[in-house]
Amino acid sequence: MDRLRQEKILKFEEFVDQRLKPDLVRAIAERDKVFEQQKIFSDLRRNIENLEKSSVTSLKTLVNIGSEVYLQAEVPDTQHIFVDIGLGFHVEFTWSEALNYITQREERLKRQLEEYTQLIASIKAQIKLVYEGIRELLQLPAEKPFPERTF
Amino acid sequence: MDGMGKGTVTPLASLFPVEESQKAAKRVQDTIAEKEKELDHLRVFIADNNNLINLVQKLPEELHHDIMVPFGKAAFFPGRLIHTNEFLVLLGEGYYADRTSKQTIEVLRRRGKSLESQVNSLEAIIKDHKAEASFFIATASEAAGGLVEIREDYVEENPSKQDLKSGPLKQDVSGLAGAERETTSVDDKEFARMMARLDELEEEERAAERGNLDDENEGAISDFDEISYQRPSDNNLQNSEDIQRRMALKQTNDIATKFPKEHKYQDDMADHFGSLALQSQVRELSEGKTMAKNLKNSDASEMSTIYPEEKIVHATNTSKAEVQYQASRPSDDSQKQASTSSTVGHADHTQRNSRKEDSTSSQVGCQTSEPSFDSRRAFTGSIIEHAENLPKTSGEQNSSSSLVSGSQPSKPVSRFKMQRR
Repeated sequence: MDRLRQEKILKFEEFVDQRLKPDLVRAIAERDKVFEQQKIFSDLRRNIENLEKSSVTSLKTLVNIGSEVYLQAEVPDTQHIFVDIGLGFHVEFTWSEALNYITQREERLKRQLEEYTQLIASIKAQIKLVYEGIRELLQLPAEKPFPERTF
Repeated sequence: MDGMGKGTVTPLASLFPVEESQKAAKRVQDTIAEKEKELDHLRVFIADNNNLINLVQKLPEELHHDIMVPFGKAAFFPGRLIHTNEFLVLLGEGYYADRTSKQTIEVLRRRGKSLESQVNSLEAIIKDHKAEASFFIATASEAAGGLVEIREDYVEENPSKQDLKSGPLKQDVSGLAGAERETTSVDDKEFARMMARLDELEEEERAAERGNLDDENEGAISDFDEISYQRPSDNNLQNSEDIQRRMALKQTNDIATKFPKEHKYQDDMADHFGSLALQSQVRELSEGKTMAKNLKNSDASEMSTIYPEEKIVHATNTSKAEVQYQASRPSDDSQKQASTSSTVGHADHTQRNSRKEDSTSSQVGCQTSEPSFDSRRAFTGSIIEHAENLPKTSGEQNSSSSLVSGSQPSKPVSRFKMQRR
């Protein structure tokens, strides 16, 4: 009986360590990527809004050609901007079109984030469940959600 | 071989457990993998650097270049590169430098060199790790194969050496130890023979010399013994020992036969090598106590005898003279030797030692390492052989004699000379 229990406990622990935990790690990594994208697009939006506000027509920038070696570059006409829409495509937008696209893109990113968050939460819940099962098998006292306070 | 039973057999597996060595090998291999990844990074950097150098070289060819200017990470602006000869280079720590194309290329080349040195050092580290890993793997396989480490005590005549070679070559080690032990035993036999011979000679000398040179010899011999004993330590003990051993053997054999002849030989030799007489005297010590006396007389020569190898020859020469002398003064030598023995530390061979000291200033070197041998050595060298070395030893003798002359009274030498000349 004991041995059986030990085996079960071992199996549960293995399951947690080899399946659930890596899943959790992967989900968190994906979510971080989405966060990054979100940040990029929000920065872009801010920049475009600034450009629009200051009615900048031409820009002078420093372009990084590799290993932190910069070259001066000039943008004569800032009316058209090419935005990366994914799968290696860039679309020429005007400012307002660009802003529009960015807004839609941001929404989509938000939805993705939510999905990932839910996934992560479910994985965490599963891990907790398995731990509880192990605890029961070991007949350890159940964890209290809050520390006990003696009055 | 001696000491076969003294050895310990330990399976290699116990010293280097199989699993541990395998684990160690794996750990090292992991480290190797990490370093190789870093190496790949560095190689990529170097490739990028080279590409950049090419680009920087090509850019100034045109006044303007049409490019897509990135705007953030996800947007581009169509634009042009202007001022194509002006490059802003990051020097690190927030410092930038405006450079021309040529200057930028130089900067990039220097960067490339430092990268390559990093690559080289990484490669060296990886090499070391690989060697480590291969060693671990080899050990694991050996341990798994049941290789055994055999340790045996290496027993020499007096000191005992431990053969501590571990690894698959245990057998060789034990073989060596055994061989060494054998030679030691062989030497022991010869030594025993020599000692027996010396004892006989001493008896004869004592009988003959009783009461002749008690006073003179005692002082000289004792002083000389002390000095000569101190000398050997300076000399090459090893050489002298070997030579003396061989000599001792020969001398013991020759002593009986040569005794009557030695006198004549010694005379001749003594004439040639007055200083050498001391040396030969040292040799003679094994044959008899006269050696010591002779040596003392020829302190100067004896000094040179301090150098074992050469001195052996001289010793033989002088020994001959001494042999005869010894016959006349066996008692004296024994007495002096007794005094010197305290210095030497060998009560048994004090007599011999004293003699030896004179002649074997070099021999003493050997003797000090093996005090019991010293007296024997003095007489072990063949007289004839050493004759050749006399010239050399004379030079040595001078140096040695200078050291000894101060302390050594020349009583034994003078007496010997008196008798001989």
